[in-house]
Amino acid sequence: MNKDKNTDKLFREKLLNYEQQPPAHLLENVLAGTAAARRNRKLVFWRVAGVAAALLLAFVAGWQFNYMKQQTVNQPNIVRQNSSAKAKEENNVVSEKATGSDKIQEAIVARNQFSGTKYSGKSGQMTSRITLPAQMDSRAIRPMEKSNSEPIAASRNEESGALHPLKTVVQPIGSNNQFKHLLEEKKLNRSLDNNQELTLDQQIIQQNQQLLRAQYEPRKKTHWLVGAQVSPAYSVNRSSHSSQYENNMLNSSSQSPVELGGGLSVEYKRGKRWSLQSGVYYSGLGQSSGNTSNSSRSLFANADMGAEFFNAPASIVAGKMMINSSAGVIQMNGIPSGVVLGTNLEDKSLSSAVVLSDASFIQNFQYIEIPLYLRYTILDARFNVELIGGVGSNVLVGNQTFLQTSTGKSLVGKTQDMQGLNYSGTFGLGLKYGLSKRIFLNVEPRIKYFLRSLNSNPAVNYKPYTIGVYTGLSYRF
Amino acid sequence: MEDFKSIISECIAGSQKAQAKLYHHFAPKMFGVCLRYAKDATEAEDNLQDGFIKVFANLKSFRQEGSFEGWIRRIMINGSLEKLRKLHLMYPVEDVAIYDSVNVSDDVIAKISADELVKLIQELPPRYRMVFNLYVIEGFSHQEIAQEMSITQGTSKSNLARAREIMKKKVHQLFGEMNAQNNYMA
Repeated sequence: MNKDKNTDKLFREKLLNYEQQPPAHLLENVLAGTAAARRNRKLVFWRVAGVAAALLLAFVAGWQFNYMKQQTVNQPNIVRQNSSAKAKEENNVVSEKATGSDKIQEAIVARNQFSGTKYSGKSGQMTSRITLPAQMDSRAIRPMEKSNSEPIAASRNEESGALHPLKTVVQPIGSNNQFKHLLEEKKLNRSLDNNQELTLDQQIIQQNQQLLRAQYEPRKKTHWLVGAQVSPAYSVNRSSHSSQYENNMLNSSSQSPVELGGGLSVEYKRGKRWSLQSGVYYSGLGQSSGNTSNSSRSLFANADMGAEFFNAPASIVAGKMMINSSAGVIQMNGIPSGVVLGTNLEDKSLSSAVVLSDASFIQNFQYIEIPLYLRYTILDARFNVELIGGVGSNVLVGNQTFLQTSTGKSLVGKTQDMQGLNYSGTFGLGLKYGLSKRIFLNVEPRIKYFLRSLNSNPAVNYKPYTIGVYTGLSYRF
Repeated sequence: MEDFKSIISECIAGSQKAQAKLYHHFAPKMFGVCLRYAKDATEAEDNLQDGFIKVFANLKSFRQEGSFEGWIRRIMINGSLEKLRKLHLMYPVEDVAIYDSVNVSDDVIAKISADELVKLIQELPPRYRMVFNLYVIEGFSHQEIAQEMSITQGTSKSNLARAREIMKKKVHQLFGEMNAQNNYMA
């Protein structure tokens, strides 16, 4: 044991103050590296601030746009509602003679309580004097007026974490005079050597600068990533309507259907932080309506018809039945089987027909989205964390309305006035885990909100947002 | 220390002249440290370069209370430790008793130059080299080494014992025989 200690002491004495002159080119590398690190630290703050500002701006712009739209939709309606109060009572519209099929005739049942309905069985025609409120027909609704401590400190802390105070390595430093003397002496020696080695040094410096540039080049290297993702998309209804429209609207259900979306993505990454993403995504949007009227003031809404029946007003034009929903006017191809239509009711405020059914309406919209997302890597490790923000163009490719009854689901029509093209804003968080050098597993919780109303009907302002967790794989090349 | 205060302030301000001055003062000694922890001169140069970039980036965090040279030395050692951790080197705990013990006279070691000793240390396997340097040269305890290297104290002791044996064997092979030859010649 003592022998070991003696041997250790010998090693220590020989090696503790062991010195050797490093190659001259190292200083150039150190100075260049220090300058680069200094620039990077300054950039970090601006990068983070820039990303935060861009995301905030996109989000605020989206909300501001919504707010302005909401104001322009609601304001003129209030004025018109007052002025057209009289007209509402006088404008009794005689419905056109419905020349429907036998199926429709069977569906129309003149009940005792719905007095006033004239039904001619022979001719197969229904002549009813149905008072249709102007607001029920989307065409009758007058169009709206068109006014529609700093990152540097943080990095320093990170470093200082690795630099906890030295406990046992204490190197005595000589007095000030000693240092002065040493510095002057070495300076003199070096100045002599430097003159002799200048050309050789210059060559080495040039070589090293080239090497240093090559070392930094991979950071700016560009990458392409292609991937496929799927996501369950949960839609949250966000809508507002004119008061006239709202009085005759179905209550929207609190249960929003969960749709499946997904698609292909292409990402272009330049450097370590920023990347641009596009692709093609398919996304579904669901809206479910209950079987009660939104207006509790109407007499029919309070009628004891049982919870399984619609107590909502409907209009019939050219054999097509229309019902107001929060997403827009549902236009049915005919009167669906299992639906009971009550007309000529003794309700002055209604002046319309009432649909009775134990069903609920499900409106489905399908979009193809072409996004343009900006991604910023906030944590670059085996487990990457990215901020995502951007916009997308959404093309409507599907529009169906289903009637969900206890016996099943049947396609009954579509929603009127849906916009063919819409724009959305998206922001989210991207978590990327490297399964290998080239293959990554992505999990991305995202929120997408539409910038304009999906329905062009001026009485409807329907801008839902969807929450989804996009999961998939991407391949880097 | 007062002299360094002004140089440090200038370095923090970004003066390359001051940085060069500081580098020239400490580089030879720190290169000596890096050479002991590296497998060869190229790795030592890399460590020295990275270490000094860290020194200049973190000068603000130096509290100017303890030894400045000690602080820089610690950064160099930490750089080597970091590299070793990234290598994920795993050595089984070995029973020292299975190796033949070699006796080397301290006189032989005393005659060997520092350059030659550094070369011998560089030939040690990375983890043994690290433990040997930290314990024998820097004076760390096994507990501190265990914390720094995320190993047990037992492993640290075992690695040190193994490193010592390898060193002795190498000294014996290279210098013991030479010594004997010299004696014979005499």
